[in-house]
Amino acid sequence: MAEQKLVTITIDGKAYQVPAGENLVDAARNHADNQIPVFCYHPKMAPVGMCRMCLVEMGTPERDPNTREIVHDEDGNVKVRWMPKLQTACTQTVSDGMYIRTTTDQVADARNNVLEFLLTSHPLDCPVCDKGGECALQDLTMAHGPGKTRMVFSEKMHLDKIVPLGDLIVLDEERCIQCARCIRFQDEIVGDDVLAFHERGRTLRIITKSDPGFDTYFSGNTTDICPVGALTTVDFRFGARPWEMTSVPSIDPWDAAGSNISLDMRLDRDFGGRAMIKRVMPRQNEWVNEIWISDKVRFGHHFTRAEERICAPLLRNNGNLNEVSWTEALDTVAGVLKAANGDIGLIVGSGASNEDLWALRQVVNGLGSERLGAWPVTHTGGELIAQVGVGKGTNLGKLGKGDVVLIVASDIEEEVPIWRLRIKQAHDRGAAVIVANARKTRMDDFASHTFRYEAGKAAHWLADLKKSAPEAAEAVKSAANLIILTGAEGLTLEGHAALMQAAANLLIETGHVGKPNNGLLSTFPGANGVGQYYLGYTPEQSVAMAAKPPKVLLVAQADMLADDPSVAAWLDKVETIISFSMLPDGITAKFAKVVLPIQSFAERDGTFTNGERRVQRFYTAQGPMGWSLPLWQIANRLGEKLGQGKAKLSAAAVMKEIAASVPAFEGMDYRALSKVEKQYPDVGGASDSYYYSGTACKNTGGLGVVIPTAADKGETVKAGEVKLPAVPKAGKGEFVIIPSTRLYNREAQFKLSTVVHPRVMVPFAEINSADAAKLGITSGDVVQISANGGSVRVRANVNGGAPEGSVVLPRHLTDEPVPMAITVGQVSKV
Amino acid sequence: MNVIRGFATTFKHLLEEPTTLNYPEQVRPFQERFKGRHHLRRYDNGLEKCIGCALCAAACPADAIWVEAAENTDEERYSPGERYAKTYEINMLRCIFCGYCEDACPTQAIELGHEHRMSFTDRRDAIYTKQMLIDPVPEGGRETPQEVEPGVFTRPIPDMENPL
Ligand code: SF4
Ligand code: FES
Repeated sequence: MAEQKLVTITIDGKAYQVPAGENLVDAARNHADNQIPVFCYHPKMAPVGMCRMCLVEMGTPERDPNTREIVHDEDGNVKVRWMPKLQTACTQTVSDGMYIRTTTDQVADARNNVLEFLLTSHPLDCPVCDKGGECALQDLTMAHGPGKTRMVFSEKMHLDKIVPLGDLIVLDEERCIQCARCIRFQDEIVGDDVLAFHERGRTLRIITKSDPGFDTYFSGNTTDICPVGALTTVDFRFGARPWEMTSVPSIDPWDAAGSNISLDMRLDRDFGGRAMIKRVMPRQNEWVNEIWISDKVRFGHHFTRAEERICAPLLRNNGNLNEVSWTEALDTVAGVLKAANGDIGLIVGSGASNEDLWALRQVVNGLGSERLGAWPVTHTGGELIAQVGVGKGTNLGKLGKGDVVLIVASDIEEEVPIWRLRIKQAHDRGAAVIVANARKTRMDDFASHTFRYEAGKAAHWLADLKKSAPEAAEAVKSAANLIILTGAEGLTLEGHAALMQAAANLLIETGHVGKPNNGLLSTFPGANGVGQYYLGYTPEQSVAMAAKPPKVLLVAQADMLADDPSVAAWLDKVETIISFSMLPDGITAKFAKVVLPIQSFAERDGTFTNGERRVQRFYTAQGPMGWSLPLWQIANRLGEKLGQGKAKLSAAAVMKEIAASVPAFEGMDYRALSKVEKQYPDVGGASDSYYYSGTACKNTGGLGVVIPTAADKGETVKAGEVKLPAVPKAGKGEFVIIPSTRLYNREAQFKLSTVVHPRVMVPFAEINSADAAKLGITSGDVVQISANGGSVRVRANVNGGAPEGSVVLPRHLTDEPVPMAITVGQVSKV
Repeated sequence: MNVIRGFATTFKHLLEEPTTLNYPEQVRPFQERFKGRHHLRRYDNGLEKCIGCALCAAACPADAIWVEAAENTDEERYSPGERYAKTYEINMLRCIFCGYCEDACPTQAIELGHEHRMSFTDRRDAIYTKQMLIDPVPEGGRETPQEVEPGVFTRPIPDMENPL
């Protein structure tokens, strides 16, 4: 980065060197340890100067009119010409020679008056307010406000106290201090402009403009940045007082972003008096999620303590599963594995931690099998991520003018919402965002260019970019920094492999590899899709197992039957299936001989490798459910029974072994992963509540360590051949079925979060209007879609979304499985 | 001489009324401000004064109080306002009867009364639940939860008197 220019400003008589162009509030705080109080200003958003809390005295040195020399008084001090009125610090950027006073009576008076004014309309219900104890208004009133009131209470403004803004957020109208942070967050940061002010003066209120209300995937963040308790979440409302909770650092268990979170824990009678997750809060990591998280991360935690959880090992006898001891269960499994003579397969879902993956692999390798399958089989190309993945030091939050982000075959808002939020902001800062897909997606709204290709032909489009999209090719070539982000929507596994190769080639050809903010990203499903590759698991192996089923199959944390209708047929051919599962699913119900209960991310230590190859730690927050154990530990104990050596005692010890054996993880012990450093803006901690209203969490759990790519290490990377796959063609009377991803769906784990239920769509499929006319279908009709040996009934949504001849069928909305990759099938009206 | 003085004192006391009481048959009158076991108070209409704010628990130096809150509705109302105590427990073995909870309470819902005879044979019996702590419904009032007219009980804390 270029040397930052420094300017000198004087705050309360002391001179400070601060970077030019910095906001005055930030500068005072970062360099002079002077906390100018604010309500409406937020360092992540443009200042608006609405609340007047940040008033300071400002001046410039007096200059002699003739000589332009700075005038000094008798004592030799600079004579300052103070402005007659106070200025809002939040709307000033620092400039050389600026003089500021924050401790004068005038400033103290102003702060006092602003607070007194705010309190004339603010209810005094701090005892029942969720923000009480971490409230900026409380804290600032204590620090700067009046100790007495002159207000006649009967004249206080009374407005509605329970106004649901959508299904997840509740507004207390009279608590709102009209700082517009929530409105600006939705508009500036998210780009879902769904909130607004209504009316004026003392009846001014926040309303939602969208239908359904507050229609966005990021609504929970507004409750964090609201400086008062006006916005509360349905999930947490009255759940606990802030001081009663203990924050445990953790990682988003849902998607490739790997958002850093805090699990705020408190004991609860409803959970047998044990510590339970009361709320999920973002934890600052400026490289990953800044201070934001999606609503799925915030509200999707209920599965960790669900009654449905499997709490003891189960063994099938005469068709029924019975609870057995761990010893008996493990003995049985060990027996089955020994008897298999190495004809063993292992399929692990993308939610398993690095430690789990490693420990399970040891067991299978120890028995002479190399069949390690990753699930689901949608995304591939891990080896390309390892070659030319985004360079070490990449920060989506730093992309701007001259940079290009190329998004192909992904509905990024539904797949990795935090990436969508950060790329949207990069677009606002001037980066060119190019979106290519077979259909319209939400990201089109934040794109500089959008392109369409024929369904399934993403790799064809990208491999031949010069012809298919000359504009895009031009932009890519001249890009200062280039990130290519691929999804697998509308692609087969081979299709995604080809797309990844085409993307890698383009990056290599244009020299956008091995540098920060350049390289390849993909929306691998689950929290540890990339970790799977590094630990030797590939989706191709899963496909191979489907073609030639092993005698014994271990399935860990993969709800395979819910992912594709064709799975059941080949699972039938497996002699014995052993399931490692948290929740009952199709496999535990029908197929598994033994079911071993595993722990969720909240109950144990571990690490995930996120889409940007950042290995991040999560910590034990909750006690175990029943007799469940961490997956790695089950594997270790199994290994012990099989004579493969003693079981490790902790996840940290497993990580040590990984670090010693897998080059990518070199040097990554838990201590290295839990290192933190100072981040700007500086949030969290008691005194910082002035700045951030207290609820943004400081990172105490570690920023993680990024696995360097081959290009990062200076190795030469070569373009490879793009094997363009055959694209499914619909025959007469057939349709191309394009499965899509929905963030809110009915997957076994997410389904258990009842608060989000109203937001999960009724099962639907998008159909092109021309096709619909032919079949006599209108929006809302029930249609039957059959493909891959299964069929589902869904509501038709006739719109321009689906290309002609195809239907877009969201996955995991129906109880029955729908195809996970593009295929052909029949559509008929019911 | 001293011997006589000593016996005189002894005899004087022999004739005096004894100062000991035959507790528990006889009970000494309590000071008004004696701090015995807690009571959770109700309003005249039967609604609970406690709003589940847990400030008592925060103030308690012995960590003896456990409060869990939940949300009121007009169909099922326990207390005025949005919040009520779903769980309210005091561990009498931990309590040091300092009365800080009483001081902290914004609605005067918790008060220390005069009952002091508390002994337990099981530690679990020392945990007084909300059922044990709450006053009976006053005459004319109704048991909680009550179904109430919408929009009446919107304020958790009774309006304060105006200044000036
Ligand atoms: S609801 Fe909160 S964030 Fe929104 S304007 Fe009111 S005080 Fe500000
Ligand atoms: S006016 Fe500056 S913080 Fe609100």
